[in-house]
Amino acid sequence: MENKWSSLKEKTAPYILLSPFLFGFIIFFGYAFIRSLYFSFTDYDLFSIPNWVGIKNYINLFKEHLFATALRNSLTFAIIVTTLQTIFALLLAVVMNQKIRGIRYFRAAYYMPSVTSSIVITLIFMWMFQRQGVINYLLTIFRRYGLIIGVFLTFLVGIQLLLVVREKLRSRPVEYFEPGYIILSIILAAIITYVLKDFGIIKPIEAKAVDIFWLNTREKVPFWGGPFAFPRPLGAIMILNIWTTTPTFMILYLAGLQDIPRVLYEAADVDGATGLQKLWYITVPQLKHITFLVVTLGLIGTLQMFDQVKIIGNQAPLESTITLAYYVYQSAFPGASAPKVGMASAAAIILAVLTLTVVLIQKIFSGEGRELRD
Amino acid sequence: MKRILIILLVLSILSIFSVTSLAGVEVRIVGWGGVDQSIVEELINIFVVPELAGKGITAIYEPIVDDFQKNLINSLSAGTAGDLFYMDIFWAEYIIKAGQVEPLDDYLTKSTVISKDDIIPSLLNAFTFDGKVYGIPKDFNSLALVYNKDLFDVAGVPYPDENDTWDDLENKLAKVVEAFNGEVAGLALAPEFARFGAFAYAAGWEPFVDGKTNLMDPAFKEAFNWYTGLKEKGLGVMPADIGQGWGGGALTTEKVAAALEGAWILGFLRDNAPNLKYGATLLPKNPRTGQRGNFIYTVAWGLNANSNNKDAAFKVLEALTSPAAQQWILERGLAIPSRKALADNPYFEKDTPEAQANKIVFLGASAGNVKPFKFKEYGDQWMNPINIALSEVMSGQKTADEALEIAQEQLNELMK
Repeated sequence: MENKWSSLKEKTAPYILLSPFLFGFIIFFGYAFIRSLYFSFTDYDLFSIPNWVGIKNYINLFKEHLFATALRNSLTFAIIVTTLQTIFALLLAVVMNQKIRGIRYFRAAYYMPSVTSSIVITLIFMWMFQRQGVINYLLTIFRRYGLIIGVFLTFLVGIQLLLVVREKLRSRPVEYFEPGYIILSIILAAIITYVLKDFGIIKPIEAKAVDIFWLNTREKVPFWGGPFAFPRPLGAIMILNIWTTTPTFMILYLAGLQDIPRVLYEAADVDGATGLQKLWYITVPQLKHITFLVVTLGLIGTLQMFDQVKIIGNQAPLESTITLAYYVYQSAFPGASAPKVGMASAAAIILAVLTLTVVLIQKIFSGEGRELRD
Repeated sequence: MKRILIILLVLSILSIFSVTSLAGVEVRIVGWGGVDQSIVEELINIFVVPELAGKGITAIYEPIVDDFQKNLINSLSAGTAGDLFYMDIFWAEYIIKAGQVEPLDDYLTKSTVISKDDIIPSLLNAFTFDGKVYGIPKDFNSLALVYNKDLFDVAGVPYPDENDTWDDLENKLAKVVEAFNGEVAGLALAPEFARFGAFAYAAGWEPFVDGKTNLMDPAFKEAFNWYTGLKEKGLGVMPADIGQGWGGGALTTEKVAAALEGAWILGFLRDNAPNLKYGATLLPKNPRTGQRGNFIYTVAWGLNANSNNKDAAFKVLEALTSPAAQQWILERGLAIPSRKALADNPYFEKDTPEAQANKIVFLGASAGNVKPFKFKEYGDQWMNPINIALSEVMSGQKTADEALEIAQEQLNELMK
């Protein structure tokens, strides 16, 4: 008897410990999900009794121009942002993993965009993206002094190559990024550029100020993109989003990097592998499981992007920034007319299915989870 | 024995609570946050408390700081909305048609404080559906041409006045801009139908003909070309281009000579540009029709149809819209109240810029082709295509014809 009682206690203990979470999960997720699923088959408008309309909402969605735009924007946004932020996060993590003085400071500094409120950052970016904002100003500077910068960089690369190749021809062990030579090349290139500018051989271009409409436009970029072009305001949100989420994923990669055995790199060094080869053949494959996590979280996050569209609001035309999540909100609260809760629920269900599908496809392609099955 | 004592104690405590809750009816008033909170709370203290405290009715104000309409719709649907709430003309029609607002005709016939005849008819009509009144307008606003007196004085140009046509105004603006060598832009031109629409109405344009909107109407194009043409000629600037969000902000920079705003600008100027000498006049007349146009922006008190305290709530409503309360609002320059009798109020004859501007806004609501600021059940979705067309043309991204063609397509899609 005693024994039975204690084994029962042992079996129920996990469920009791789980119950607070389960309670929240069932009420705020399970119940809400089932309600949305039900509403998606009705014409509910918050006040009248919902009538069953079958799959009419879903059919209407695919007839609606705005929904098609939202779907397209969401997919473009998810693919571009996830790809870029994953690459940047990996590179940033590798850089931040170096053993150099003050690395802790840099790690903290680079992480700042991720801990700052997304609303505050969006507001700041909205200022930077104004017609007379910082971004257009920097582009203007770049356009005016582009030639000079170009000349400087060409000489820098040229001199460095010359120096390294000369040493290589003498069969001396030298790297392409030999620090001593880089400093020498910078000084030489700077002197040459200065002299050229002083003699008036190269000079700043008399270009007009860059006047790109980042927000208030329906233009699509890139202009040669054809069916793959996306609205420029969406591009502005992409830049902003990549900037804020890259550091979050950098932390995940940093944690992963600590787990890679040092011996692998040492063995590679013995075999004479270059830095790039070590990155490609050791670091990237060893971080595969982290990459899966980063891409999954990235896809889910980007497909649900809402806050930045909401804050930019009337600064940009709706069709240039609308995403699926914002479409759901817009249909549920359409301003002056009846809330289309049925349509909004249907769109939300489609968003959920889409997210699930994309993550599954990603899982199949990355082969993640295979070791679990084997 | 001890147990019985405890039970008795609990019962007595419970009964005290239930008795107090029966005796006092609490009316919940829901409205915007910000200035409205202090105004309504003061109104409650001065007018509602002395009147109704003896009858056991108390009123509390619950401000909703952001997204008021979404919040109201949600709480109405959930059955937790206040007994009295703000209803903006812009979106009131939907909740009224959804049966969430109590018709007030019976209450008004019985009332000794307020009747239908006391209220400015155009305002009351805006909240009348199928012959029933659903809201008591609390105040209203219209657009005025607010100008910076100093800039006109320095340039030696006469102030804009109520006899001006569009051309006269354009000439005056041109002279000011010339006098300052282009350092000052003429008019703050918000790329919004909420401002531009007044000119379209002046040209005789009707937003809905047989349930359709026609942007290709010559009257609309005339107004569109004039409004966007001011920008092209360098006589106007979009507030965003000088780092401001709206006409009021643009006026405080002293870089624009005039802006198109309602009485809401007065409190802003008082706080943000106390030394700015401003004047206000009626919007200019269209030279062809000889008419002005304008919007009426108005907010009414609505009574929750599902409220348990409807009679008490209406008593609070009476106190809030009593002649004394409306007089108080007017004399503080907070808003322009909705009672007809206040038109002859001595306040409007005062020689302060605020009183004069308020008078202009009051007159603007009945001068020419004036329409309530509402667009059937479409709201923002109807205005947005026009707003984008305005901003695309004024920023030089598209020609008027291209932009209007796209806007027309979007409106057709919306109203099909």
